[in-house]
Amino acid sequence: MNDRCMLMRKIAENYFALADIHLYCDTHPADASLDGKINELLRETKELVSRYEANFGPLTCHAGTAKQWLASPWPWEIDKEA
Amino acid sequence: MFEYQKMLQYPIRIKTPNPLYASIIISQYGGPDGELGASLRYLTQRFSMPYPELQGLLTDIGTEELGHLEMIGAIVYQLTRNLTPEEIKRSGFDKYFVDHTAGVYPTAASGFPFNAASIACKGDVIADMNENLAAEQKARVTYDNILRLVDDPDVCDVIKFLREREIVHYQRFGEGLRIATDKMDEKNFYAINPSFDK
Repeated sequence: MNDRCMLMRKIAENYFALADIHLYCDTHPADASLDGKINELLRETKELVSRYEANFGPLTCHAGTAKQWLASPWPWEIDKEA
Repeated sequence: MFEYQKMLQYPIRIKTPNPLYASIIISQYGGPDGELGASLRYLTQRFSMPYPELQGLLTDIGTEELGHLEMIGAIVYQLTRNLTPEEIKRSGFDKYFVDHTAGVYPTAASGFPFNAASIACKGDVIADMNENLAAEQKARVTYDNILRLVDDPDVCDVIKFLREREIVHYQRFGEGLRIATDKMDEKNFYAINPSFDK
């Protein structure tokens, strides 16, 4: 697995962890025990996304030019490098 | 509003195309208990849902389901690439192919196209949350049935991930229903509809 795929995998893992924690917090709003974990994940994910976008292109359409947006593969395409 | 992220929630890399598997798994794209219905069901129930916990839950689960819709589309796309007419005829994919070629169309495996009647929005918290609990179980059963019919590990790994999410969503909707009933008339949950009666 190359650097791009490893970084993408890590970003996806972090977003998944955040989404899953978020669902728990929706139904347990009084439980503040995960706030530290959420902030840690948010901080780490922001850094990983910045590193990914600087090297491999935007992950959202507002993170670069239209040309950059079209240059990287779409996620449903078979990733030959994975 | 929504903003697209150019990534899947869980990676999908299917090495061997298989049109028979595609014609089964398409049911989770546009079938009665599929991800299109799931995402629309939750995102549309939000408007009349009382209580911020439940509005948040429907928003977050509905958004995740849109990501699952994309994952099912990616599976079907990868299973139907580089097919020959002979493979299409032999696998039984011909009945789908004649109308949609290798496009990803929201339909049940039976050929019945996506129908909004398979989603529900009653505008009543008790009715809608019970609907959602049943919907998650029906989707879980569909994934179980897919796992009974498919034996490619590249496909089953992703299907198992999606199946697990149905179980987590069921758990959270159960907690959501409990939150709602705790806020309602303890002697009679059905005395009023908090979405409508003030």
